[in-house]
Amino acid sequence: MASHLEIELEKLKNVIVKINNLAENQVFEAVGILLSEPLSDKKQVKKTENKIDKLEVKIEDICQSIFALQQPVASDLRFIMSAMQISNEIERIGDLAMSMIKLNKNINSKYELVTKFNIEEIGREVEKIVIKTNVCFQNLDAEAIGEIYILNNSIKQKATAAVQNIIDDIKTNSKSIVSGMNLIMVLRNIERMGEHCTNIAESVYFMINAKVIKHEKHTDKNAEEE
Amino acid sequence: MKDIKIEVKDLSLYYGEKKALNDISMLIPSNKVTALIGPSGCGKSTFLRSINRMNDLIPSVKITGQMLVEGVDIYDKNVDVVNIRKKIGMVFQKSNPFPKSIYENIAYGPKINGMKNKTDLDEIVETSLRQAAIWEEVKDRLFDSAMGLSGGQQQRLCIARTLAVSPDIVLMDEPASALDPISTSKIEELVHELKEQYTIIIVTHNMQQAARTSDFTAFFYLGELIEIDKTKTIFTKPSKKQTEDYITGRFG
Repeated sequence: MASHLEIELEKLKNVIVKINNLAENQVFEAVGILLSEPLSDKKQVKKTENKIDKLEVKIEDICQSIFALQQPVASDLRFIMSAMQISNEIERIGDLAMSMIKLNKNINSKYELVTKFNIEEIGREVEKIVIKTNVCFQNLDAEAIGEIYILNNSIKQKATAAVQNIIDDIKTNSKSIVSGMNLIMVLRNIERMGEHCTNIAESVYFMINAKVIKHEKHTDKNAEEE
Repeated sequence: MKDIKIEVKDLSLYYGEKKALNDISMLIPSNKVTALIGPSGCGKSTFLRSINRMNDLIPSVKITGQMLVEGVDIYDKNVDVVNIRKKIGMVFQKSNPFPKSIYENIAYGPKINGMKNKTDLDEIVETSLRQAAIWEEVKDRLFDSAMGLSGGQQQRLCIARTLAVSPDIVLMDEPASALDPISTSKIEELVHELKEQYTIIIVTHNMQQAARTSDFTAFFYLGELIEIDKTKTIFTKPSKKQTEDYITGRFG
């Protein structure tokens, strides 16, 4: 029979999986709207955002309770420490997705811009990184961590290139300033989502290996080694 | 709170002239674990023994106030104290199995209460040992001496012995303080399971144990009840500074 602590840890894991799935849906929604294929209505999106916020608070409450009442040590302690950080990162991903959804309204001729600046590829990559991060946490998959770094680096490079192209376009076509600037902010949000995913991956690494790797420089080469 | 098992009203206890418990009032809920914590000499064990009138055995003890168990004041002169101690069982810090077989330790109580049928006794012995999570370890040696069991097993045997007479309430006075960590963990898990059927009150000087095992925690200091609340509240945001100071190790 599972101990009291094991039951609480399982409960915590299930809530994190839940919030992860909701944030994933928000990202798909944001990318879908960007690529002109919205998946659900505004009410549902707002509901999901509220659920994410409530679950983040619930996770903190569960962690506080476990710390105070169960005195976890070793891997259990690392799991709970990481759980608090991960839920915070996920909540930020949800916020960024909501911000993207709002910014989309100010982008005219979206389809043309998306095609012109190769945005679809970046959108699909951020969907991929969010899914991979979710699986990485659920399965404590150390191999996925390296893949997440590689994806993040790719998103950063592509987004940086796209931003530069948009800026160059704005210089020659002043009518595209508003749409261009909003699209730049969307791309910055996508980059930040990638960063949050790598932060989650680093927390998973800490859970598995009891080693802190945040703030270390990650190139594709050492990402493959990880 | 609904489902209150014990209501304590203005209970004071004197050892001769010395007042050991001062106007204690509290509610103890049914089918929950209530932990009593506090520094040495604060009165928690004295209070625990008041619940099943074990303090009656001390000649100089005087009690005022009321101890209502399911609405009945157990200190009323018409109350049968032997029946009280059957309904409110107790497990002590140092395990005290009888120098008899494992079987006889458990069967002793029911036999004293008039049970004679062997099938019934066998059933009670097995049920009690299962409830105390020790059946699998002793089922093949029920007629071996209980004194041959390890410390942790003896304590679980004592718990089984308490359960064999079908109590409503189980009092535990530092039941794991003499045990190794593994045995302690088993006792704590057992407490967690037993509350489904019994109301449990546990005295412990180990705050972390109180935090792990109980639903409610009462903090005693110098014979007074300082605070009682849900365990989570006591260990995350106690309302009294004294409680905060004690649980954070600043005194006691």
